[in-house]
Amino acid sequence: MSKYDIIVIGGGHNGLTTATILAKKGKKVLVVEKRNVLGGIAAGEEFYPGYSTTGLLHDTSGVRPQVVKALQLEKYGLVIENNRADVTILSKDGKSVNIQSDVNATAETISNFSKNDAEAYKAYQEFLKKISKVINDLMENPPPNINIENLTMASLVVLAKKGMMLKGLGNKTMMELLKVAPMSVADFLNEKFETDFLKAGIAAPAIYGSYAGPWSAYSTINLMLWECASRSYIKGGPQALVDALLKAAIQAGVEIHTGAEVEKILLDTDGVVKGVKLVGGEEILSTKVAASCTPKETFLNLFDDFELEYELDYWIDKIRSRGTTAKVNLAINTLVQLNDQTVEFARTGNSFDEMEKAFDPVKYKEVTDAPFLDIHIPTYNNPSLAPDGHSVVSVQVHQIPYNFEAGWSEEAKKKLGEDVLKELDIYSTGLSKSVVGMEVLSPADFEERYTLTEGHIYHGEHFVDQLITRPIPACSRYTTPVSGLYLCGSGSHPGGGITCMPGYLSAKMILKNN
Amino acid sequence: MPIQTPFHPRTSEHNKALDWKDWAGYFAANSYNVVSDFEYYAFRHSAGLVDITPLFKYKITGKDASMFLSRIIVKDISKLKLNQATYCCWCDDRGMVIDDGTVMRFGENEYFLTAADPSYSWFSRFIKKLDVHIEDITDSFCGLALQGPTSRDILKNMCDADLDSMKFFWTTDANSEGFKFKISRTGYTGDLGYELWVKNEDALNLFDAIWKAGQDYNIRMAGIAALDIARLEAGLIMNGVDYHGSLHALIPEQMSSPYELGLGWTVNLDRKPFMGQRALKKEKKNGSRWATVGIDINWPDLEKLYKKHGLPPHIQAGAWRHSVPIYHKQQKSKQIGYATSGTWSPILKKNIALATIEIDYAKSGTEVNFEVMVEHHRELVRAIVGKPQFFNPKRKRAIL
Amino acid sequence: MSKKYDAIIIGGGHNGLINAAYLAKAGKKVLVLEKRYVLGGAAVSEEIHPGFTFSVCSYVVSLFRPHIIRELSLVKHGYDIIPMDASYQPLPDGDIGLCKWGDAAKTRREIARFSKKDSEVYGEFNKVMTHMAKLAKEVIDHPAPDVASINPKELSSLLRMGKVFKNLGSELLQMNTKLLTMSSADFLDLWFESEILKGPLAVSGIIGTFLGVRSPGTAYVLLHHYMGELDGSFRSWGFSKGGTGGVSNACADAARSFGAEIRTNVSVSNVKIVNGKAMGVLLANGDEIDSKIVVSNLDPNRTYLKMIGEDNLSSDITKEIKRFKMRGSSGKVNFALNGVPNFCRKRKGLEYMKGDIAIVPNVDYAEKAYDQAKYGEFSERPFINIVVPSLTDPTLAPPGKHVMSCFVQYAPFYIKEGPEYWPKLSDKFGDAVQETIKEYVPDIDSLVEHRQVVTPWDMQETFGLTEGNIFQGELTLEQLLFQRPISGYAKYKTPIRNLWMSGSGTHPGGGIMGSGGELSAKSILKEKAI
Repeated sequence: MSKYDIIVIGGGHNGLTTATILAKKGKKVLVVEKRNVLGGIAAGEEFYPGYSTTGLLHDTSGVRPQVVKALQLEKYGLVIENNRADVTILSKDGKSVNIQSDVNATAETISNFSKNDAEAYKAYQEFLKKISKVINDLMENPPPNINIENLTMASLVVLAKKGMMLKGLGNKTMMELLKVAPMSVADFLNEKFETDFLKAGIAAPAIYGSYAGPWSAYSTINLMLWECASRSYIKGGPQALVDALLKAAIQAGVEIHTGAEVEKILLDTDGVVKGVKLVGGEEILSTKVAASCTPKETFLNLFDDFELEYELDYWIDKIRSRGTTAKVNLAINTLVQLNDQTVEFARTGNSFDEMEKAFDPVKYKEVTDAPFLDIHIPTYNNPSLAPDGHSVVSVQVHQIPYNFEAGWSEEAKKKLGEDVLKELDIYSTGLSKSVVGMEVLSPADFEERYTLTEGHIYHGEHFVDQLITRPIPACSRYTTPVSGLYLCGSGSHPGGGITCMPGYLSAKMILKNN
Repeated sequence: MPIQTPFHPRTSEHNKALDWKDWAGYFAANSYNVVSDFEYYAFRHSAGLVDITPLFKYKITGKDASMFLSRIIVKDISKLKLNQATYCCWCDDRGMVIDDGTVMRFGENEYFLTAADPSYSWFSRFIKKLDVHIEDITDSFCGLALQGPTSRDILKNMCDADLDSMKFFWTTDANSEGFKFKISRTGYTGDLGYELWVKNEDALNLFDAIWKAGQDYNIRMAGIAALDIARLEAGLIMNGVDYHGSLHALIPEQMSSPYELGLGWTVNLDRKPFMGQRALKKEKKNGSRWATVGIDINWPDLEKLYKKHGLPPHIQAGAWRHSVPIYHKQQKSKQIGYATSGTWSPILKKNIALATIEIDYAKSGTEVNFEVMVEHHRELVRAIVGKPQFFNPKRKRAIL
Repeated sequence: MSKKYDAIIIGGGHNGLINAAYLAKAGKKVLVLEKRYVLGGAAVSEEIHPGFTFSVCSYVVSLFRPHIIRELSLVKHGYDIIPMDASYQPLPDGDIGLCKWGDAAKTRREIARFSKKDSEVYGEFNKVMTHMAKLAKEVIDHPAPDVASINPKELSSLLRMGKVFKNLGSELLQMNTKLLTMSSADFLDLWFESEILKGPLAVSGIIGTFLGVRSPGTAYVLLHHYMGELDGSFRSWGFSKGGTGGVSNACADAARSFGAEIRTNVSVSNVKIVNGKAMGVLLANGDEIDSKIVVSNLDPNRTYLKMIGEDNLSSDITKEIKRFKMRGSSGKVNFALNGVPNFCRKRKGLEYMKGDIAIVPNVDYAEKAYDQAKYGEFSERPFINIVVPSLTDPTLAPPGKHVMSCFVQYAPFYIKEGPEYWPKLSDKFGDAVQETIKEYVPDIDSLVEHRQVVTPWDMQETFGLTEGNIFQGELTLEQLLFQRPISGYAKYKTPIRNLWMSGSGTHPGGGIMGSGGELSAKSILKEKAI
């Protein structure tokens, strides 16, 4: 008889969410985490003595109220606002636009340099508002159960149409959605806006984590998903979420083992899960395992050859998870301004051409000299993360290939760091001279440190064929062809980023199935 | 354009009929003479020599070779003893046969595998981190099949191998004047016979030595047409004719499991995971939908039908390979299966066929109706379901 | 001009002629008006250099629908296609490249020289693609169902498409989703490892689009390769005897035999519209010709914005038609040669050259060509698809001499100096192509007797293809099916009553298929519009 009802592999935000929800329903849950700290890529790190980030990722705007409510996270110290944080879009010529949750106020700033774009921005937000409910419904529920054997396209379309119509989408909006969804984000935004750096800044989140540039088709879908689904702000960033999750987990009775690396998932002779084996030889029994690590890690590394059905193995192997993000953490001995403003979040991009040019080398396993940046200055709201009067600048760098042909040597990383500083100097003159400490993490480091396959921050690219039926159709509803094995990480619907939704929906599915 | 096998300088001399076929991209003699009957009779009465080079041939080596083959093949290959050979098939996940062939163990970590279809890419996707090396030796090794009652004597006269004690489905090394080759007691005729494997460089030496030794034993060149008759009598199925490898099938209905093909005996179910194991266990438990059977077509019925048109009964020359419907005994419009290939058996004097039939009608002795075309009219004749193997002489397995 | 016609067809391209033939066959009085001196539109043969016949634009035939050949008795009217056996990918410096043949075993051996694995997987790949292509045929051969409608007729046609997908089975369905959305390079990576095999396959996904082999959404165009259906046999491509114009001439001849009247050198300035209804056409010379209906075989941009005019359109429609993406990306360079351009002297004979020759040695080569185009330059080392049809059809050139037709991508219409600068770049572009070919055929310079460069600008100015798009609009997902050219008007109708469309800018799209002309005519007849 096993001590645990379920073992959760990985103590990131999704793993903790799944564990806690199950524990609250009275299940005996064990979380095994390879690292000595919890939180995965949501965890903040002290990257230089006295300087800390609040997470490898920045964006917490996708965290869902129902998760916060279900886990009573506010009780455990979480401060969440129902508006997303302001983001400043930076231009090389010193201009900037502050994108606020208030559409009119944002349009007002935009009108300083383009009346057309101010109007376009309003129309764009209007369109997003119309489709928001449909998209949020999609993001907040398990993916539809598509029974392929009984599928008829008509029934599907009729269903989808019914769904969309009911939600007041209307025929015109639906046709517009069908028209623009397959488009590249560049084509889509070029139809509306005229200001290059504004377009680039709006488009950027659609490209983050993608093996794509702004000219890549289907990137508009990602833009819409991000725009519609991001609407909250957590004070203290991802680390604050992890803190609250951890408290909730412990309170719910979740047992957590850190420094416990799973070597393999154990199966009985019928191919049913019977537990896990840790590096070091310890075997822990449980008839259920939920894996929050990447699907590729789960299926390709935690099973022996031939243990899985070939077809499963085949499709998992074909998941595309080519990491394109690097990280540069900077310890700065002053307060930081970007284009003469004090901000918490900022983006660069400047123009579609420049962003596309940053992506071009990725295709040839090379690294750009001029990446575009997603900047977070956590000390803006939380000065205690650095010594008094100092700052932390946390930069997600795009597009940086995992499979850099020349290899991610220390020199290569140093060069990347320098290029990022050169870029930052444009927006904050002399910033590079104020750097006291710096950490550069390549996608290869992500893989090494966080067990992210190919360094992909979302556990698999957000591309049409890897959305909804995420990661692959056979595993798309958190269950897998391996009896007793569930998925609960970013590799599952609705995908990566800090939302806690895969963990939440997976837990619900596990409860429903048992 | 097909290419020539290393034996071509010799086989082309013999091919009086100029009757070539494309076998897996090689020129293969369909029939060396305009009438192929005597090529067939050589298999049964003396010895027929067939160029089987076009078979796909692989050398599998490495520390994990035994384990690897056991995982991709439904038979537990690790049980194969040194110099032993076995007939087997391999399946996909769904337990559907991809191809069938022969595996021989030439060393602790060395195997030789023959297949009907190119199999390198399928096998190599499972190597992953294993210590296994697959070498495609299709174009560097060639093969001859020497089949028939005098085959042993011929070989004994041209090489040093001890063939008297060598059992059915075993192999041995052999030396002849100045070259080495491998002999396996295997074949596709259901008779006493051997297959000989040699490096391309020694192809003509081997051929000439056999041909010379064979002169006192009525050796004959035999083509694919004769081979087809012999293999049908022996009840040996053929990939692409009697079944379709699942990698080539377009719809599930075109696939077959080992059980459905009568290859259930090659499946070792209860062991470590292997490709198709789960599905095969399930099928074993729940039963199969189809079976492969032999069909004995009623001769007097056929005779009667011809008589109706004022004709003597007609025998199709050689074997045929096309689908023929088989109907229920009473409900003559109810199709219960289909024959995939057949022949007039020259020694049994029977019209026989291999057929895929619904499991409910697969019991030996079941009477069915078989569709024939007599003088441009579709007709039905009675036929009896039986085991696929129509002919199985003692000499096939006998040792001296 | 008092003679009253049932239908006037603007544009004597192959679709227009097919449309005319079907209408005439149904007993209608039809008039076809062609601006140029010669019929065929982009499917045209012209003697550009004395003694040499060029397929100036479109150069191979593959997708032409067999039922059109049957229904219009095109063979009787001269339709004659010479099938191609080989497809060659040369290597620089005369090394032996990869040749794919009709003979599967031979092809397997060719590929095995580069990758054993790929040589075997190629068969599996073809199987899957052919299977999916057969299903896609369902989509091509019928008007596009209207997704926005809840009319039972539309739903039943959707259901038919649905069944197609259902029959795929789960594995193929999965593959199909990937095929529809992925980039052709990524999709091919699911199967193959050798660059020389992937390169030419990948580019077949980008022909005529302003996309690269790594651009998502390009994979499904690969299917077109597998739909090349000549007289019912799958995957066969061919040359039209006497050049591609032969197809158009056969269509014209068929149309005439049914009583259609065809006039060349007649330029239509716009459609005569009265009270939102098409009444005929106005010619550039000021004449008017009346008819019950008008069918425009021009691209959507020219049909809506020139033939109809913004004045007659609502602003919504104008906006929609303006966002229909044309942006041509390719050019054509045609050579008259005084000898055989041998792409590989190490190969015996010239059989390997009797199909198409694709210069795209690897995937990155194609993508780099695109990278350059993205920023407004033509590719210095472009992807080139070459045919030397005179090797199989000696009537095209004097004895011993040859015509070599080169389809070149990328030549973006919007170059950074602006499209009207193209005439100044024409020679440089031709030089780049010739230099590229020289890496494979070192003596090319001495072979050239004459060179014709067709830039995207020329395609617009001479052939009336807006922005030089050879398919009358990009074949991207949002411009297909019920969205080709715009949603609500994807069934060959326009917002103007009695004005219909029939060109490649309508469903199912470009290539010498004839479907636009056929389906449009059948819709007109079904609706009893005349």
